[in-house]
Parts: sequence; C-alpha cells; structure tokens
Amino acid sequence: MRIQGARNMEPINYVTCLNEMYQSQGFPPYQWSKFETSPWIPFKKPLNQACIGLISSAGIFLDDQEPFDSWAVNDLSVRLIKTDTPHAKFRLHHNYFDHRDALKDFNCVFPVDRLSELEREGFIGSFAPKAATLGMGRLYKRTALQAETVPKLVEIMKEQSVDAVLLVAA
Amino acid sequence: MMKRVKAPRNVFVNFPLGRPCGKPNNTQMQTEILKDALNFLKSAQEPGELIDLSYDWGSDFDWNDYMNDIKEMLEEEGSEKQEWKPEK
Repeated sequence: MRIQGARNMEPINYVTCLNEMYQSQGFPPYQWSKFETSPWIPFKKPLNQACIGLISSAGIFLDDQEPFDSWAVNDLSVRLIKTDTPHAKFRLHHNYFDHRDALKDFNCVFPVDRLSELEREGFIGSFAPKAATLGMGRLYKRTALQAETVPKLVEIMKEQSVDAVLLVAA
Repeated sequence: MMKRVKAPRNVFVNFPLGRPCGKPNNTQMQTEILKDALNFLKSAQEPGELIDLSYDWGSDFDWNDYMNDIKEMLEEEGSEKQEWKPEK
C-alpha cells in the first residue's frame, strides 16, 4: 500500500552503521547472517480460513516468567505467551532498541490485539492462542540458535496447526 | 537486514526501530500494516521477496537519532549504558 505524500527516505543501513561503530572500537567484523535462497511453499489457503501464529523478538515476557536480560548476550531462550493475557502482565526487557513506544502500546512489536480483532472480523481464520517471544540480544551462536531454538519454535507453532507465522523483529 | 536474512516473505515498514507494526495507540495504522503483511502471504510471487509498504513516520530519522533515542531512554529509565570492550 502506497501512502500519498510518504517521504522517500532511504532506510537506515544498520549493518553498515554497526560495523563502522564496532570496528572503530577495535572489535573484529561481525559475521552477519546472509542467505542467498529462501524456502518456499505457495500459500494456497484463503486467509479467512488460515491459522496465523505470532513470534516476536522484542524481549516480551509475563510478570510470572523468568525475565529476559535487557542487555542479553546469546540468550537462546523462548517464552510462551497466551495471546489473551491482559497487557498489565506483559513486561519488556530489551535495551537494543528504543522500547518507549512499545511500552505505551505493546502492539507496536507484539500485535496481539490487532490479530485478535482480525480473527473476530473474519479477515483471518484464527489467531494461534500461544505466541512465542525471544530476547536474544547480541548473538554469536547462530548454529545453536538454528539447532536448539528454532526447532522449539517450530514445535510450538506446529502444535497449534498454524498455516503461517508472523515474525516480528524488533 | 531483511534482504540478508531472506525469509520467504518480507514486509518492510520504514519506521524507527521498535515500531514495526505501527505507531503506538494508532489502531487503524496497525491494522492496515498487518492486513498488508498478511495479504502479502498470497501476493508474494517468489522466494525471499520483499515489499516496502511506504507508510510515513511523519519525520526524517537516521542512525544518530537511533543512538540518541537509546541514550535518552536509558537516562529516563535510570539505566546504565552497557559498555562493550573488544576481547584482548
């Protein structure tokens, strides 16, 4: 969707900026993930019959769960959050992005209310009742992320028979 | 970043980091962004395709704003900035 009058601004190139900042401080170059291909399954189901799952990496957890570390390094853990949980129980620990707007309205990074509304409206068939959240932070263990964390996420989503997953990176 | 990771379908909104689903308490904008993203499940034609939704944040922002916003946030919350040092 194109908004009339939208400013034509180049996105911030975080990879280049982070490389320059850390290498000027004497850090070795970070090994950014780069993939040349993507897995692909055509999405054939009508949206209004599809179950949509949600995964967010904004460091959200519940007040009775183990908190994420705001300055996490290599945190591969996952929290499960029932999507109808009152927002008063949500917490957010993540200092690598400006989280002030997310604290005003968790839907900025964890759009549970909006997806519930789209379910009620019939735009999607259903919204999976359990979302998965991550904190991660600075990550130097991609192999472990792929070998340990990703299978957990896949299992959480498969158990709920989701047809597609919305990944919200913060 | 999205171009590098190349998920099967990628939806980009050029907003300052931390608001990928829209502005806080702007239900209409958040709903539109999510509908656009979900519609892309069906309209994407090839693996790794990226769509830029071109919603307007309302003002320009750059890398220095990102760094300043974090600094301001930490000051407001009374948190210490974490300093990282290269391993010797």
